[in-house]
Order: sequence, then C-alpha cells, then structure tokens
Amino acid sequence: MSLLSSLLTNRPDHEVSLAAQSLSLGYPAVSIIENLSLHIPPGKVTAIVGPNGCGKSTLLAGLSRLHKPSQGTVVLNGKDINRLPSRQVARELALLPQEASAPEGLTVAELIQFGRQPHQGILRQWSEGDQAIVEAALAVADLTGLADRPLESMSGGQRQRAWIAMAIAQQTPLLLLDEPTSALDLGHQIEVFELIRQLAAVGKTVVMVVHDLSSACRYADHLVAMQAGRIVAEGAPSRIVTPALVEQLYGVKCILLEDPHSGTPIIAGVTRLG
Amino acid sequence: MTALPTLPTRPVVSEAPAGYAWWRFGRYSILVHRRAWSSGFLLIAAMIIVSGISLASGAAGLSPWTALAAAIGQGEPMHVFLVQELRLQRLIAGLLTGAALGVAGCLLQTLARNRLATPGIIGIDDGATAFAVASIVAIPTTLAPSALALTGAATAAGLAFGLSGGAGARGYRFIVVGIAVGALFGALTNLMLARTDMDSANQAYPWTVGSLNARPAQAVWLLGIGLLAGLPVAKYLGRALTLMRFSDSVATGLGVPLKRMRVMTLLLTVFLTALAVAVVGPVGLIALAAPEVARYLVGHQGVPVFNAALAGATLMSLADWVGRTLMAPIEIPVGVIMAVIGGPYLLWILLRPSARRAP
Repeated sequence: MSLLSSLLTNRPDHEVSLAAQSLSLGYPAVSIIENLSLHIPPGKVTAIVGPNGCGKSTLLAGLSRLHKPSQGTVVLNGKDINRLPSRQVARELALLPQEASAPEGLTVAELIQFGRQPHQGILRQWSEGDQAIVEAALAVADLTGLADRPLESMSGGQRQRAWIAMAIAQQTPLLLLDEPTSALDLGHQIEVFELIRQLAAVGKTVVMVVHDLSSACRYADHLVAMQAGRIVAEGAPSRIVTPALVEQLYGVKCILLEDPHSGTPIIAGVTRLG
Repeated sequence: MTALPTLPTRPVVSEAPAGYAWWRFGRYSILVHRRAWSSGFLLIAAMIIVSGISLASGAAGLSPWTALAAAIGQGEPMHVFLVQELRLQRLIAGLLTGAALGVAGCLLQTLARNRLATPGIIGIDDGATAFAVASIVAIPTTLAPSALALTGAATAAGLAFGLSGGAGARGYRFIVVGIAVGALFGALTNLMLARTDMDSANQAYPWTVGSLNARPAQAVWLLGIGLLAGLPVAKYLGRALTLMRFSDSVATGLGVPLKRMRVMTLLLTVFLTALAVAVVGPVGLIALAAPEVARYLVGHQGVPVFNAALAGATLMSLADWVGRTLMAPIEIPVGVIMAVIGGPYLLWILLRPSARRAP
C-alpha cells in the first residue's frame, strides 16, 4: 500500500460494521421511517436513492447518530451507536451533513485540522501523524495549493471537496455523505464521485445519499432504493435497477441503456406516467 | 478512475499548523496559538498598569510604582497600610468580577452563536440582582448575598432556557425570551425598592446600578474560589465550544456531546455571573465588551476564555478608576461608567459592517 493510502485508513485490518435493526425514525407527530433493517456492506460504496421525502436523508442521519431512533437501534461494530461516547463514534465514522456550515473566515487548512479533533486531547493537541494526515487529505482532495484560502472565497465544488477532506482527516473506516454532489455542476460532480471511489479503493466504507439515479448506478457498488420510509430494493445497481423500479420510485416511464464506458445502467427517455 | 496522487516519500511533518507554536514531550503535545499568547501578555501588562494607577489614585496620591510596591509590602509602612488595607481589596474585587463576567460573556455568546447573548442581556444579572435585593429589603435573612444571587441567576437562566426550548435553544429566540425574563426581574427589583423604607432602599441601591463600593468581603472570597475552579473548566469547555461554532451536525460528527456541553456551559455561566453579581451588582456590559476585545486582539477561530477574563478584569478596574476620579470626591458607580462607555460600544457592534459574524 502506498504511503497515502496507509494514511487514509488508520486500521486497514479493522473490519467495520454498521447496521440498522428494526429502526424507526421520526418526529413526535410524524413517523418517517418505520421498522427498517439494513446492513451496510463493508469496504464498498453504498448509495441510498429514492424520491424526495422518502426518508433517505433521515436514514443517513439515523445511521450517523444525528437523529435518535424512536424504536430499534443502529449498531456500530456490535454496539448501540447512541450509547457509545460521541468521540469514540467520531473515530469510526465521519460525516458530511447536508447543512454543513463553518464559522466565517476559516481557511481550508484550518477546517481540515478540525477533522483531527476526535483523535486529540488536552495533552495531545497535535502530532506528526496529525500533520501528515492533513497533508494527505489536502492532496487527495486536490486542495494543496488552496490550503490558506478562506472557505467562503472558494467555488461550490472546492468547498465540497474541503468538507470531504475534513471527513477524510478524521481517518475513520466509515464515511457517511449526505448528497455530496448537490449544487455541483457536472465536472465537479465527477470530481467528487471519483474521490469517493478512490476512498473505497483504499478500503473505506462509504454510504451516501444521492439524488441522481444514473450517478448512483455508476459510482456505487450497492444501491438501497427507498420509498415512503421503506426499502423497496437493495443490491448491485445493474442487478436491481429496472424500468419497473424506476416507475415505482419516481412515477415515470423510462428505458434503460448501458453506459458504454462503465457498463452501468443509464436512465433515458423519461416520460411522465399517464 | 484517476490514480491517487503521490506524496513525497518522507512527508514534511515537523511543522505545526500556521500561527501556532508546538511543544512535544514524548506522546504529549501542546499547541499554542502565538497571537493568543501575545495578546494575553499585552492584556496582563495593561492590567498591571491599570492596577498601579488605580492603587495610586485616591485622597492621598501616590505614584503608580510606589502603589504597586506597597501592594506587595514594599516601601513606607504608611503607604503599605493605605494600599493593602484600603485600596487593594477594592481593586481585587474589580479584577475578579471583571474576569468572571468576561468569561461568562464569552461562554454564553459562543453557546448561543450570537454576540448579544451575554448574561446581562438575557436576564441572568437581573435575576441575581432581584434575589440579592430581596435579601436586603423584602426577606429578612442572614443568607449570604452570594447564595441568593446564585439562586436568582439560576432561576433566570432556567426560565430563559426553559421557555425558549430547552438545551437545544440557540441564538435569537433565546435572547428575546431572556430579555423578557430580565425585564420581569428588573421590575421585581424596582417594586421591592419602591415598597421598602428609605434606609433599606439606600442599602440596596448599589446593587441596582453596580458598584464596587459596597462589596461584601465574604462574597469576594467566594468569587475568588469560584473563579479558580471555574477557569480551568471554562478552558476545557472552550475546546468543545470551538467546534460548536460549526452547525450542530458538524459538531456532532466531530464527536462533541452537544447536549452535555451546552448544559455544562450554561451552568458555568450562571455560576460565574452570580458570584460576580453578588459582589458588584449588574455590570452586564463587561460581559459584552471583554470577549469582544479578546476576540479582536486574538483574531482567531478559537474561544478566547483566558483573554476574555484578562480583558474583563482590566476593563472593570479601569471603569472603576474612572468612576472614582472623574468627579472626585463624588464617586460614580462602575455600572454607570460601563453603561456610558458600553452603550455607544453596543451601537458600534450592531452597526459595523461585519456585525453578522457570529462569535
């Protein structure tokens, strides 16, 4: 393994597991997800897809302990995630939330340094390892030259890469990303997705919520299709994505083509039902 | 798929993040923000100068150096007596209350992500004052003002937090509810003063404006002990609070137990504010100004707990000195001086272009 990839994962031999068991999530008046069970395949990229309001972001928030379950449990390495100390979870699981916001004036390097917090303490504030992983995260996210720029002065794509770099610097085996490419143009989307593939290639387990089904098919190994708070299909994209599934999820008719480059399904000729 | 970029085979690792000094002892390491330290030394120097001037001025004039020397027992016995027995206690009370209010303001501003959210503005000072005044005019009691101020501060903070939606409450809503709670307690104080006899009202007056003239010695001791215990806790919370300046989901993702940190921060704020108010009364503007001065000097993304304490101590003793000398021998209470300086200052904070920057 290269130096860089050994920096990216802190324990490459460490098998990580994340699962939802009979999970119900919601607010006092509204239930969003009921009795959902899911096992995240380790070392792979899992994409959660589905129409607006199907509960995919809520599920990701539940899996990352942002949203406390009303029933059931999220199990991280065999233990209830909501009973583990938050810092310990932060050393196993890094998160890119949708509404990520930083204090004004923060530079890219400062943001990424915050990713080291779960590994630091009052008497262990900075180590050579910290410095190395911050440099590696900058390099992987292609931000080395922009390290001292304030976040708000950067383009949407660069900023998104900076947030992902912070999650990388957390050096966790698990990465949970909520719509990592939302509001990005095509070129920036590809950059972010390829970065995610690189992370999977060095052994990280990635779970992401993705809006665009074709991108999910192309960049994910495992697809979780949700509708109205339930999982309606789960498996490899080329195996489970059919015109019938697309119709069930989005209420549209379509034809499926095969991407000549990657061999994954592409949704085309979309028309509204009836 | 593009290949992973390559790093130099030996990464450059002997560097601390920009702007920091880095000390290592085996597995242990400490990062020191250079500008935070230089600001700290600057504030300590300012505090010593203000202390010297404050100790030197009074009915019998001394030079600041003579006064500082006398404070540590050097020089003519007469000067030593004058400074140590008469002036030093007042100075210490000013430094301690300023430091406590500075830290409390810094903590609460960061917690609420709003620089207006200081203990004075959200009603903690008023709660503490109302209870302290009650101990003098309404309820004949032998309880120390500190204990009652603490009860009052906790009541006000509990009401403000409870009514604005619990420990998750942030910013604007918390402030609006806090202002209402403060107004209620302020009215209560005035009602008690209006219904009591002249003597009790006179005795309670310093409490309502904020003055270092009528400081109970016992309350000063309690404040000193409280500050000694509270400062390390505040420094510890500062690390989590730095992360809490991000959105909640980011802070949680980085391993901050948000609920516990918020409750601890609020408790410490109430504790420090109440102990200070029990000594000096409501000089709330210190809590607004001191963290602002600290942040301006440090110019950094952290939460400047110690520097806010130093700035608060300096500002409080400076305001007290101005109040004592401006119209001597008539003494203007420190609370009035701070309001005269603080009012325009508050306007400046609200009106300057970068006012939207959250603390």
